[in-house]
Amino acid sequence: METKKVIGKRRFSMTITTIVFVFLYLPIFALVVLSFNSARQGVAWTGFTLKWYAELFRQSDIWAAFLNTIIIAVTSSVVATAIGTFAALALYWYQSRLKSYLGILVYTPLIIPDILMGVSMLVFFVAVGLPLGLFTIFLAHVTFCVSYVTVTVMTRLEDFDYSVVEAARDLGARSRQVFTKVVAPIIMPGIMAGFLLSLTLSIDDFVITFFVAGPGSTTLPLKIFSMIKFGVSPVINALSTLLLIGTLFVSFFGSKFRKLIF
Amino acid sequence: MPGVLWLTVFFLIPYIIIIIYSFLTSGIYGGVELPFTLEAYSKMLVNAGYWQILWRTVWISIIATSICVGLGLPAAYFIATSKHRNIFLTLVIIPFWTNFLVRIFGWMVILGRNGLINSFLQLLGLKEPLSFMYTPGAVILVIVYMYLPYMILPLYSAIEKFDFRLIEAAMDLGAKRAQAIWKVLIPSIRGGIGAGVILVFIPALGSYAIPDLVGGADGAMLGNLIARQLTVARNWPSSSAISMIFLLISTLGLLVYLRINKVQNKRRVQVSEIYMKEEEG
Amino acid sequence: MKRATIFLFLVLLAVLSLGKGNLILYGWSDYIPEEVIENFSKEYDVKVTYDTYDSNETMFAKLKAGARGYDLAMPSADYTSIMIKENMLLKIDRSKIDNLINIDPDIIEQMYYDPNNEYSIPYMVGTTGIAVNTLYLQDYPKSWEIFQMPELRGKMTLLDDMREVFGAALKYLGYSVNTTDEAQLKEAKNLILEWKKNIAKFDNELFAKGVISGEFWVVHGYGENIFYEATEEELENIDFFIPREGSTMWIDSFVILKGARNIDNAHLFINYILRPEVSAKISDYLLLPSPNVPARELMEEEPVYTAQEMENTELIKDLGRDLRLYNDLWNEIRFGL
Repeated sequence: METKKVIGKRRFSMTITTIVFVFLYLPIFALVVLSFNSARQGVAWTGFTLKWYAELFRQSDIWAAFLNTIIIAVTSSVVATAIGTFAALALYWYQSRLKSYLGILVYTPLIIPDILMGVSMLVFFVAVGLPLGLFTIFLAHVTFCVSYVTVTVMTRLEDFDYSVVEAARDLGARSRQVFTKVVAPIIMPGIMAGFLLSLTLSIDDFVITFFVAGPGSTTLPLKIFSMIKFGVSPVINALSTLLLIGTLFVSFFGSKFRKLIF
Repeated sequence: MPGVLWLTVFFLIPYIIIIIYSFLTSGIYGGVELPFTLEAYSKMLVNAGYWQILWRTVWISIIATSICVGLGLPAAYFIATSKHRNIFLTLVIIPFWTNFLVRIFGWMVILGRNGLINSFLQLLGLKEPLSFMYTPGAVILVIVYMYLPYMILPLYSAIEKFDFRLIEAAMDLGAKRAQAIWKVLIPSIRGGIGAGVILVFIPALGSYAIPDLVGGADGAMLGNLIARQLTVARNWPSSSAISMIFLLISTLGLLVYLRINKVQNKRRVQVSEIYMKEEEG
Repeated sequence: MKRATIFLFLVLLAVLSLGKGNLILYGWSDYIPEEVIENFSKEYDVKVTYDTYDSNETMFAKLKAGARGYDLAMPSADYTSIMIKENMLLKIDRSKIDNLINIDPDIIEQMYYDPNNEYSIPYMVGTTGIAVNTLYLQDYPKSWEIFQMPELRGKMTLLDDMREVFGAALKYLGYSVNTTDEAQLKEAKNLILEWKKNIAKFDNELFAKGVISGEFWVVHGYGENIFYEATEEELENIDFFIPREGSTMWIDSFVILKGARNIDNAHLFINYILRPEVSAKISDYLLLPSPNVPARELMEEEPVYTAQEMENTELIKDLGRDLRLYNDLWNEIRFGL
């Protein structure tokens, strides 16, 4: 590939990237190691144990919360990615009065502090008479994720050469075909990045979820927060380790799966 | 478009609620009551301490964002130009599927008085443990840690679609690689940089769990103040008023980003036009 | 398509929870032992959901904003008082709570805001104190004075709670924790600013872990958290005490919220908690003195402090509009405002 010649050895960026990865994984490493440590707190190694994992499996409410989190994350991310992609396309291409209005709307959630967003969504749901629960969490998550997806997809759109679309139209493609066969493949990395971002945000969200969650619809961040204050932290480390292994697993098999599709 | 409908309902309305609240007086026990008043704003703006917090929040966020750019750009470049980009990308994201709080705790374990770093230093003979925690430095470190992927992802996206033949062209014209990268690549991905900055700077401004856990007694940031006014002081209008100022700053940042995008699009068109002319001529 | 799936899922959930009776609790994390909830659940065939909050303030903010669906909540005295005034509670049918006689009348006397238990039934009474890790510190006064010692700079924490910290300062100065005298409050504020120089941070969540691990040597906090976190071994190095000048007292009560759907079950639950054997179990779990008189005989563990030791403690009362005085001063301390 010619690019290889152009980019050269990339010594500088490689060094930085290594530093970045070490930085990113340092606390992760600490957590994983501690999950096997028999001490309840502190860093001193007092012996290898699997008791925290055993304890973890005993606590069914953690798994319920985990399930909730996954369901909400996946569903809200799919919806948010869809809406966000279309919003990005609309913002980028269509010239209309709606555009600036839409633009402000999309960017707003990015800049509102979560606590306000949480409370105002709560007030809104109450005013509309919607009972709090998983559905309200889902709605709230979609709301803030859409903005992130839109911004991410837009960076991909910037360089988009519209003449490709024109060419496709000239060749007789209808709008839907234009989208699925021409536009989508080109901006797919942006869409995927947006989707991943949305998943991450949703899985992690605490404040907004706290306010719009209903009785019994606890998510993992809420559960962990309550545990961390008064509960046992190595159990959480054990959970995090398992989650990590899980995601590594899913992503490596996922990429093989993806290669089959694309 | 259905997107517009959804967005209107869920974004605009809560937004309006906040704005209205900030102009109302506070009920004794929270909630809001008439009459409309500017009291919340006036009390806040004349207070010197408020500006101090604002300033602290802004400079911490700026430093954190700059570090993110400094680390993120080379990292994104490396990943976007490597064969195994998908693997790297996934590796960047994976730590972020552990819980937010758990990650902060990971750092507390490392930086604490009896934490990893201190234990290690004490092995080397250090007598008194150093205190890394409860300082602005710790806050900046953790903020960078939390938001680095939000910088890397858009940068990656932008670099990945960059046409490296432009670099080749620049080098053919005599530029050294570093120069070419600096003068051709960077301006081209301005949009990506802008997106990354927005996605880091603004959440950084609003952070409150991080300063709460690893910041010192004097480390409160704007987010802490907003949260506190809402819950403890039960002063919803005050909380909303402070948020409005926060929103103003963020909106400014957003407008700058949008402006840069417009300029950048024009520039790119020019560059590719020049390039094409070169090709023909 | 996704919405249909979610809807179906919710319906499924709703269907699954029918049949049994229900009870939705909203309380502090780990405040009611699992065993107690399970036993109640079995005995009365009621499915109990226990959602948690980490502070009175967030609980209140959420309920005030209109969150519905919770049957019982467990606010502290000042917030109970507020919730009564704000009409957020349902009256309790005392004919259903015959175990109420078990509660120590001294405690009920303290509940000035609800003298006839029309809205609230006490769950736990306790106080705030100081914990010291004796591995690192052996020589210290059992007094709030400890926060003025410059040798301990950076190794202490105070609670991030305006009423608690002011309460500590006011007690040290010999004033009431509920004073509205501006001169006294100013004195307290200056004292706290002195203390602030010596602490690492204000903290509500991690003081227990912190003092046990040695991250901090001296913490301001609640005994039950610390004793819950520590192992037997670690406890030997922790000294928890109520400072000699006195401290703040809190009373956490059960209240039934407006909009509760399972009112009968709520009454059943409260009455169940008031049974001596159950109350004893709870007090053993939290290592706190029991407000339930017959339960005191049944306790197996030694509480962290006894009712006698709490003589010098004063209940935190709601101050209505006067809270602004505290608020402004606390904002100065906490945020430099």
